[in-house]
Amino acid sequence: MRFHLPALNHGGMDPAPARYVIRINGHLGATVLSAFPALAPQHHGAHTVLTGLLDQSGLYGVLAEIEALGLDLLELRKFTPDRESPETGHHRSP
Amino acid sequence: MAPAAPRLIDRGDLLAALDRAATRKVTIISAPAGSGKTSLLRAWAGRPGQPGRLAVLQVQRDQQDAQQFWLALLDAVRQATGADSGAEPPAATPDFNAPAMADRVLSELADAHGGITLVIDDLHELTSPEALAQLTRLLTNLPPQVHAMLTTRHDVGLRLHQLRLAGDLAEIRAADLRFSERETRELLDASGIELSDAGAALLHQRTEGWAAGLRLATISLAGHPDPERFVAEFSGSDRTVAEYLIAEMLERQPPDVQDLLLRTSLLDRVNGELADLLTGRPGSERILLDLQDANAFVESLDPERTWFRYHHLFGDLLRLELRRTLPEEVPALHRRAAGWFTLQGQVVEAIRHTQAAGDWPEAARLLADHSFSLTLDGQAQTIQALVRAFPPGTDHPELALVRAMGDLAQGRLDQAAAHLAVAETHAETAPPDRQRRLRVAIASLQLSLARRRGHLAGVIEQVRFLASPVTGQSDEDIALDSDLRAVALMNLGTAEAWSLGLPDAERHLREGAVLAREIGRPYLEVGCLAQLGFASIFHGAAMPNIQPFAMTQARCREAIALAERHGWGAEPVIAPALMTLAGTMVFLGEFDEGERWLRRTERALQTDTGPDIRLLLHQTAGILHAGRGRRHEALEELGAAEDLGSQLEGPQALASQVTGWLLATQARLGMTGEARAAIAALDDERASSGEIRNARAVICLAEGDPAGALGAVADVLDGTAPVLGYVTVVEAHLLAGLAHRELGDQRAASQAAERALALAESDRLILPFAMTGSAGLLEALPRHQTAHAALLADILDVLHGSSPAAKEQSSSPPAEELSPGELRVLRYLPTNLSRPEIAGELSVSPNTVNAHVRSIYAKLQVRDRSSAVRRARELRLLAAGRTR
Repeated sequence: MRFHLPALNHGGMDPAPARYVIRINGHLGATVLSAFPALAPQHHGAHTVLTGLLDQSGLYGVLAEIEALGLDLLELRKFTPDRESPETGHHRSP
Repeated sequence: MAPAAPRLIDRGDLLAALDRAATRKVTIISAPAGSGKTSLLRAWAGRPGQPGRLAVLQVQRDQQDAQQFWLALLDAVRQATGADSGAEPPAATPDFNAPAMADRVLSELADAHGGITLVIDDLHELTSPEALAQLTRLLTNLPPQVHAMLTTRHDVGLRLHQLRLAGDLAEIRAADLRFSERETRELLDASGIELSDAGAALLHQRTEGWAAGLRLATISLAGHPDPERFVAEFSGSDRTVAEYLIAEMLERQPPDVQDLLLRTSLLDRVNGELADLLTGRPGSERILLDLQDANAFVESLDPERTWFRYHHLFGDLLRLELRRTLPEEVPALHRRAAGWFTLQGQVVEAIRHTQAAGDWPEAARLLADHSFSLTLDGQAQTIQALVRAFPPGTDHPELALVRAMGDLAQGRLDQAAAHLAVAETHAETAPPDRQRRLRVAIASLQLSLARRRGHLAGVIEQVRFLASPVTGQSDEDIALDSDLRAVALMNLGTAEAWSLGLPDAERHLREGAVLAREIGRPYLEVGCLAQLGFASIFHGAAMPNIQPFAMTQARCREAIALAERHGWGAEPVIAPALMTLAGTMVFLGEFDEGERWLRRTERALQTDTGPDIRLLLHQTAGILHAGRGRRHEALEELGAAEDLGSQLEGPQALASQVTGWLLATQARLGMTGEARAAIAALDDERASSGEIRNARAVICLAEGDPAGALGAVADVLDGTAPVLGYVTVVEAHLLAGLAHRELGDQRAASQAAERALALAESDRLILPFAMTGSAGLLEALPRHQTAHAALLADILDVLHGSSPAAKEQSSSPPAEELSPGELRVLRYLPTNLSRPEIAGELSVSPNTVNAHVRSIYAKLQVRDRSSAVRRARELRLLAAGRTR
């Protein structure tokens, strides 16, 4: 919300939005989830997995919110179409 | 730092770790929100027996303005060193010089006696790359007795690898800050919470020793009927620690307190009055005080406890909760806050809340209306940050005005013109009451632009609004009008001085200075006086009998002294005075002193790239080289000045002088063909000026045609050719003398030399004798025939010191340069004033004087006051004071 990061897609980075998977420790309640209106939440065990389409500056905005709210970020992954759906939750679960 | 809340437990191990860290130069505490960074620093700093003083800066939220950051840092340092008691506080300027500011903070730190710890809290909020770059420099160059402690949520863009390699950097990270199980137990005990060991262990495990979690838990646990159950439920919940605990804590507050916390969460800082306004209920101040006393994430910002802020993490969660539960009220709350801040004259906050309310056109209007005063208040970067906060793609024509202002400040004249064109189109369609304001603002900016482009006709066109008296409807209108009038007078006077050197220039600049003082705008007063120093070289030039150079120097020094009182001694605003002073030094043959002032001018112009002021810089450097006989270097500088002159639109006062000197230098270097071709390309008016006639004479002399040279200067000598000042006439006499000598007429040559000396006497002007290469002419002048023997001797001293044979010697590196502060102290050393008395004269602390004296002795490589004075005389460092 209050972050005005310089445009990040000038350095040859892909400007198109991509699907990101963000895993956070704990169950996020309605208050904290309202900070991520662009992302869909799902509880996986003791974690919350947020997924959604983000471009680079959207992604950095989300990371800044995670930091500001003191959340425990466990994993961040860009979902590429050749991989299986991340929502199945078969990967690392610490 | 705000008054420390009562500490619950003494985290001895951590404090010891910080003590160890403090033996290095820089300590960085880098850990996520709520890790207890600030509490740790407070506990460490507040311990009894803590040596040294603390300079504490809390970085403002999302600080994008380098100047605001540095001013706050300087202020914190001055409070810690006690330097704020005597001299004026540091003031903001519309043009900010970050390196000079960092130097200033460094010198304040260096002047401080005893240890000092510089604390910068929440450094991650600083997003200005310029500020971070200079902070890196500050941290790597800290004086020996200074230690810096920084807290940040994430590693920031400071390049401290040098310090790291040298072992001068200590880092404390999240893992170090976590509470141990023992500390958790101690915290519970200290808070009077009865919990079993198993319960305490569970709480520690659930919060993972996270400070904010433990603190929140203790607030809810205090007075809880069943602490064991609370911990069990908390432990059994999957929700994140902060969210769970804040919800618990809020729920346990009475409804009016909950309501206050939610509604005021959208403020960066809150006081009772503002909270009453947002809640619609009285009594908020009491609630805020109680919350702070209960250690409940509310802290006061001032000793009087009138302003409060919420812990960042707590505030952020409250804000989310507010948006979630009362979304329809949020814009109205922002509007109410904006209204309050507007009434308080806190425009930046008002604009931020107007933006947050989504009232973008209104926010654009506010910003356009206040961008003048905000720029004058030194908040140019804040303005640009506010502009960036508008959603991209939406068109707010009012912002064109604001953008033009930023462009002008940075010397981007073409972009400024483009933005002004957009603003003008918009003004045509604005409602009538608004149109007047916009037009006045646009006219003032057009005036600045025309001035910087040297376009006099454009200036005259734009200043018609000066003729109308101040007739605002509101106080705000009147203030805006006064600001604009003062700016306009400065620009008008400047343009007049630059373009034609009209006496009107002086009148307008004086009027501007007086008005600026009346309305409390010292920046504009300094600007007018600096330009007045420059303008006076024209006024005085026609009257050699009243020592025009001495008068010019006195005016420049007056302007510089005022600028220094405000801490602007190295800012672009004072550059015209610095440069004019440098130029007069060069004219008087004080080349080393002139060079020092020129260096200082260069530093002041680091952030300004406008062609007008750069032209003067190259021109002054050119005559300095020419005076020292370095013709190739002179040619390069004068050529650069000529190129910049061609970028300016209108006629400029100095144009024929620059061109004349450039062509003469070419001729002296044997490039007579180029010089002649250039003269042929000049229009008749320029070609007939005294300065160009002199250049023609130099070409003739270089071609072995002394009779032609005499013909060229004849109109200058009989007063029919227009000249910029008597310097041109002195030059013409010398060129005539050189020509007579070539022709074998020694008597006429001596007469010409004597006339030149007579004209030069009152100012003790030396430069023309050096530039024309008149040493031989003067040496042939029989001493008993001259009425100016003393001046003659001085001139010959300078000429021999700067002859090509002596060049090697004069270009050897001078002693380490004294700072302006040191020079000021130095000039009192020949007096019989004691150090405390000197401190009194200069309105600084005796410590500052002592530090300067030590530094002067070191730089001059002397041991005592009398040898310092002797050495300073040899280096001509005291000469600048003689016209006072």
